Amino acid sequence: MFNWFKKSNKNKKPSRSNEDWVEQLTPPPSEESISHLRIILVRGLKPALYKYVDRELDQFVEDTVQDALLKILDKVDTFRGESKFTTWAMKIAVREGLSELRRAKYKDISLNDLVANDDESGRDEINQMSFTDDQPGPDRATHEQMILQRVQKMIDEELTDKQKTAMNALMMHGIPIEVVADQMGTNRNALYKLVHDARLKMKDRLMAEGIDPDEMLNQL
Amino acid sequence: MVKMTLDHEIGCDDCYDQLHEFAELELQGKTPEKAMPSVKEHLERCGNCRQEYEALLKALESVAA
Repeated sequence: MFNWFKKSNKNKKPSRSNEDWVEQLTPPPSEESISHLRIILVRGLKPALYKYVDRELDQFVEDTVQDALLKILDKVDTFRGESKFTTWAMKIAVREGLSELRRAKYKDISLNDLVANDDESGRDEINQMSFTDDQPGPDRATHEQMILQRVQKMIDEELTDKQKTAMNALMMHGIPIEVVADQMGTNRNALYKLVHDARLKMKDRLMAEGIDPDEMLNQL
Repeated sequence: MVKMTLDHEIGCDDCYDQLHEFAELELQGKTPEKAMPSVKEHLERCGNCRQEYEALLKALESVAA
């Protein structure tokens, strides 16, 4: 029994503590630690990303892990120990992979094109929106159209051009926030805050106008 | 989305800074939404952060298996 236990653990890499990881990955990093971390990240990323990658998953994951390792080594001194080191490292690798996939998917999309197209059709889309999937009766349809026109007026009056562009791209077209941020020359965090301010303005104005946000605009 | 808007919401950076801790609490069967409600609220509003969180959970589960 004891021999079996010794044998079964013979090939198992010793688990590292957080302190071990940080020490061994702090410059000059240990090649053996980098190699061990690479194996862990690859093992995690493949099942995590497979549904987003059309082809050559193995190569994509290898490239992602390579780029992620550079970032991990670069910021290893910022790890504060709130989780296992490998959890923190995996978080960096996951963002690396998903960011790359998002940028590749939307590389041919231009926000300027969206705005140009929406100038022609966007107001019609708003005007054709309905509160429910059911066909409303004529009175209700008229009432809904009046409210939607008021909402369009609020958007025109309350939001800045940047906020309109961002909300349009994010919420009407579903473009990822970091792709929109790249194209608007900002970053993901700043764009989130810009849109948060816009949502707050719209919410306050809707309330002030007596339009219940619960009743409509769930998609905005 | 408008109706869910809170006066104070954390941004993507603050969420990302805490995401590994949040994920680990989840995998330990604890209640991260109680310990870190602002992260939970951000994940409900930000599709990209939620996608990263779900992928992170999947990756961690696979490594632990």
